[in-house]
Amino acid sequence: MFVHIRDLHFKYPNADDHSLEAFNLTIQKGEITTVLGESGSGKSTLLRLIAGLEMPTKGNIMVGDHCMCSQSKFVQPEKRGVGMVFQDYALFPHMKVEENIKFGLQKWSRREKKTRLNEVIELVNLKGFEKRYPYELSGGQQQRVALARALAPKPKLLLFDEPFSNLDADLQFKIREELRKILKTTGVTSIFVTHDQDDAQALADQIVILRNGKIIETGSPSKIFGTDCDISERLAVKPRVLSKL
Amino acid sequence: MYKKILFYSFLVLFMLVLAACGNDSTSESDSSSEDESSSKDEVNLYTSRHYDIDEELYEQFEDETGVKVNVIEGSADELIERMKREGKQTADLFYTADAGRLHRAKEEDLLQQVDSDVLKENIPDKLTDADKEWFGLTKRARVIVYHKDRVDPSELSTYEDLADSKWKDRILIRSSANIYNQSLLASFIELNGRDEAKAWAEGVVDNMAREPQGGDRDQAKGVVAGEGDIAVMNTYYLGGMLNSADEEEVKVAEQLGVFFPNQDTTGTHVNVSGIGVTKHAENKENAVKLIEFLSSEDVQKQFASANYEYPVNPDVEPASTLKEWGDFKEQDINLSILGENNAEAVRIFNEVNWK
Amino acid sequence: MLKWFRDIRSNLNTWTVLSIVFVGLILLPSLSIILQFSAETNENWNHIKEFMLDTYIVNSVILVLFVGLFSAIIGSSLAWLISAYDFPLRRFFQWGLILPLAIPPYIGAYTYHGILNYTGVIQTTLRNQWDVTVNQQYFNIMNMPGAIFIFVIFLFPYVFTITKAFLARQSTSLVENARILGTSSWRIYFKIVLPIARASIVAGVSLVILEVLNDYGVVKYYGIQTFTTAIFQTWFGLGDLGSAIKLSGTLMLLILGLIVLERILRGRKRFSFTTTKVTLLQPVKLKGRSKWLAFSYCMFIFTIAFIIPFIQLIYWAFLTYEQGFSTEFLQVIGNTVFVAFAAAAMITVMAVVISNISRLNRGLIAKVFPKVTILGYSIPGAVIAVGIVSLFIGIDEVIYQWGWASSYILSTSIVMLIFAYIVRYLAVAYNSIDSGFERIGIHFTEASRMLGNNVTKSFFKVDVKLIRGAIFGGFILAFIDILKELPLTLILRPFNFETLATNAFNYATNEMIHEAAIPSILIVCISAISIYFFHYVLERE
Repeated sequence: MFVHIRDLHFKYPNADDHSLEAFNLTIQKGEITTVLGESGSGKSTLLRLIAGLEMPTKGNIMVGDHCMCSQSKFVQPEKRGVGMVFQDYALFPHMKVEENIKFGLQKWSRREKKTRLNEVIELVNLKGFEKRYPYELSGGQQQRVALARALAPKPKLLLFDEPFSNLDADLQFKIREELRKILKTTGVTSIFVTHDQDDAQALADQIVILRNGKIIETGSPSKIFGTDCDISERLAVKPRVLSKL
Repeated sequence: MYKKILFYSFLVLFMLVLAACGNDSTSESDSSSEDESSSKDEVNLYTSRHYDIDEELYEQFEDETGVKVNVIEGSADELIERMKREGKQTADLFYTADAGRLHRAKEEDLLQQVDSDVLKENIPDKLTDADKEWFGLTKRARVIVYHKDRVDPSELSTYEDLADSKWKDRILIRSSANIYNQSLLASFIELNGRDEAKAWAEGVVDNMAREPQGGDRDQAKGVVAGEGDIAVMNTYYLGGMLNSADEEEVKVAEQLGVFFPNQDTTGTHVNVSGIGVTKHAENKENAVKLIEFLSSEDVQKQFASANYEYPVNPDVEPASTLKEWGDFKEQDINLSILGENNAEAVRIFNEVNWK
Repeated sequence: MLKWFRDIRSNLNTWTVLSIVFVGLILLPSLSIILQFSAETNENWNHIKEFMLDTYIVNSVILVLFVGLFSAIIGSSLAWLISAYDFPLRRFFQWGLILPLAIPPYIGAYTYHGILNYTGVIQTTLRNQWDVTVNQQYFNIMNMPGAIFIFVIFLFPYVFTITKAFLARQSTSLVENARILGTSSWRIYFKIVLPIARASIVAGVSLVILEVLNDYGVVKYYGIQTFTTAIFQTWFGLGDLGSAIKLSGTLMLLILGLIVLERILRGRKRFSFTTTKVTLLQPVKLKGRSKWLAFSYCMFIFTIAFIIPFIQLIYWAFLTYEQGFSTEFLQVIGNTVFVAFAAAAMITVMAVVISNISRLNRGLIAKVFPKVTILGYSIPGAVIAVGIVSLFIGIDEVIYQWGWASSYILSTSIVMLIFAYIVRYLAVAYNSIDSGFERIGIHFTEASRMLGNNVTKSFFKVDVKLIRGAIFGGFILAFIDILKELPLTLILRPFNFETLATNAFNYATNEMIHEAAIPSILIVCISAISIYFFHYVLERE
């Protein structure tokens, strides 16, 4: 096992209830895991906890052989070697595409940086866009820059926060396929958070269904979705999302 | 790395400022170290007066004696508060434009006694603190001004008369937040007792032509503009208007007559600008020298002509503008009283709702 | 226990330490005031309660209410016009409408009274040219409506600047959507602009209100009894500093109450959604009548809030320039710019540190620190000064006794004054910088951290570059405020240290308004230059 989360609890300082309660999860190396849940289910919190952007009230997180977080230890996010693609991409508006991508490679030599830049640019198919500013790109292109930026420093683990919610349905479909291909090529372990069961089904090796901060089901897509494909009851997802089908 | 940069940039910033201030303080401490050897070349002054003539006189003093006058200007009350907090390390002199404030400084034990024959000769006893802790330097009267066409001076008699209903809606006077009004009422508390003083204040509030607003000059303008017929104001403001650069102000002042009230009874209310040596003065000798200088005949003349204040030195004649208004009988109370009764005056003003 | 240790350790970095030091420094002078606040009441207090408090509170409330309302309307409507539409002189108005901030309200009050009163230019002309004598009532500005007018025209730029910055960057998608949907301009303004810009408008209005509550110059001259008048009346008239501090404390509580109330009212409706996708709002070209309407509105406000008082000041300066201007003036200008610059620079650094740490922290710091910055802004300057003198005398006493210096060095130097400025004006820079941080949100920082940069590195490589404008804006606002500052400068300056503001004020209080014109004009010019510079830097971004 590559990622190991044990008995994770989290509560926002002013909240009454836990956002995440007794959460346990194991992920194998190279596996794509999707956390499926409606908004408020605690799925984004989970991602932020793994990233180190929040500090859990209780529980351990192991990534690779390293303990990221326990009762006595807390590794700052910049030291974790974990990459993240934000829902709104958070591309630095004052930097060109190439600067954005090279941002995480500060300790690398100049030549290494250049090689790596070309590699990931090729990977996400953005050749020729290096000198553009983020606002000069389309939504889909921006998303690919965000992916390239996160991949560039070769993270042990890659996190995706609702990566498709800003794209239209057409593009979503295309990119999903592409993304799975890229991830499998690089072999990076990744965790997706989404409210869209299509995403989950298309991408995941493993699906985790989260409701009110608790896991209600874990398994492979075929196990979860079964034959009827309708899990809206279990998810308590609003029909609006399903209508996207 | 960046932490360091941040930290150092801070250090540099603070150092810069400290260095800049250090410059000031080194130059100061330079002079103070010289002090210890000669102890003769400076005197520190807190003043609430802000007149150009004052600065010219300090320069003259430096030219004549070689003693530099260091000045902090501020409102009297704030300076008193500062002196209280500063304790032993404070100014040598406290100079302000109201006897009440001087008295308060004395009460707070901030001043010390000065025995000087020169001062005794130059300044009348009445304008000096009973314990010689402060000395009046210039004098101003709070008088009634009237519109020459609309008011016959024979209608006017006393301050007390202003509470009479014949002045209903005719009086202009500024707000009770003003120290000159507070001192005026404080003198009435002394002369007539609290109850009568309060009744007077009540009567004046009834007779006001408009809610108190603006300064003394605005009261004069109000009279000429027809908002009221008479106003209460300090003499030097009218003097300033008569000699103003703005000819409209001169025109206003020329339409006004000056009336010194209470000539047959208690006399016209006067107040002083006065000065005292602080209790912990380090340069007492220089401080006394400066007071003596300011009370000298020559300087008193300059005071009087530049600022239309009455000189305290009996040998000096007032400026020609003031002389035209003639001599007058002054209130015969020791000016310390103004300070003693100040808080009571403020209470009365609040009670009768004098804005 | 282990966990507690972990939490402390992972939160303890340069930022936290620095900000705790800063906040501590700011709190120190307030401590003596807070201690006094709990002192027992005396007979003066009863007198105050019986005769003063009611009217004074009512007047303050009226003043705050109307000034707040009108400056919100004028500030936000101008900000909206200028961000969303193009009309003649728009580029000029972008910074020209900040210029009224360069005129200290008390100078404005004297000036307007000078224009309107019996010997003022209007009445004089009427009288001398056409022999018309007017009813003084129609020309009397020295009353409540007059004071409201003065405060509104000289303080609305606070609302204008903050709202404009927000609208230009953040409202684009919403406004463009509304335009596409065919919503009329008025509807967009009321239904979209006002609600989404609410946080910025409130931020601007609270600065305005704090300035109003602290003002003593205007209300004293116009004879309006407000809370500040009561404080000074108690302190100076009744000679009771204790009760005055009690009053200040009450005022402080009231202000804190207002802030909390606003937070509660706003509740979760914090519309300042932070999208990291910034697109600039493209102004629509106005045509025909509406073009000139928009122009006239801006021009009208600019005229009454800047041109008229400025011309009057210049005229007065001509009357007195012979006696007024000397080489000593250069020294005064140097003093003024130096202290204002030094203090504003330190304020900016401190505001950035505190704002950044309270943004990254979710615990107590995030809640408490921002409130502390506003503390100094909510107490009348003269009262803070008392606390600061006590503090510095105390420190000096220690230095002196331990033999580190031969006399009191801090309280006789400019350090004390600069420190006082910091305590007082931190809130101004903080507001601007904090709204900058709020605008960019936290995702950029988080993204940077996920890419291996720690908080400090992320701050310098990402955050600073994104909120440069806000930081610079905070600096300029603090700088201008310090240029105009009065009570602290009067009380705390070292010997022989004059600034333009003290110079102007000294003349004005002696009713020598003509002589006050030259220093006033210089204040206005220096502020105007910095405002232009501020605008120029923002434009280039």
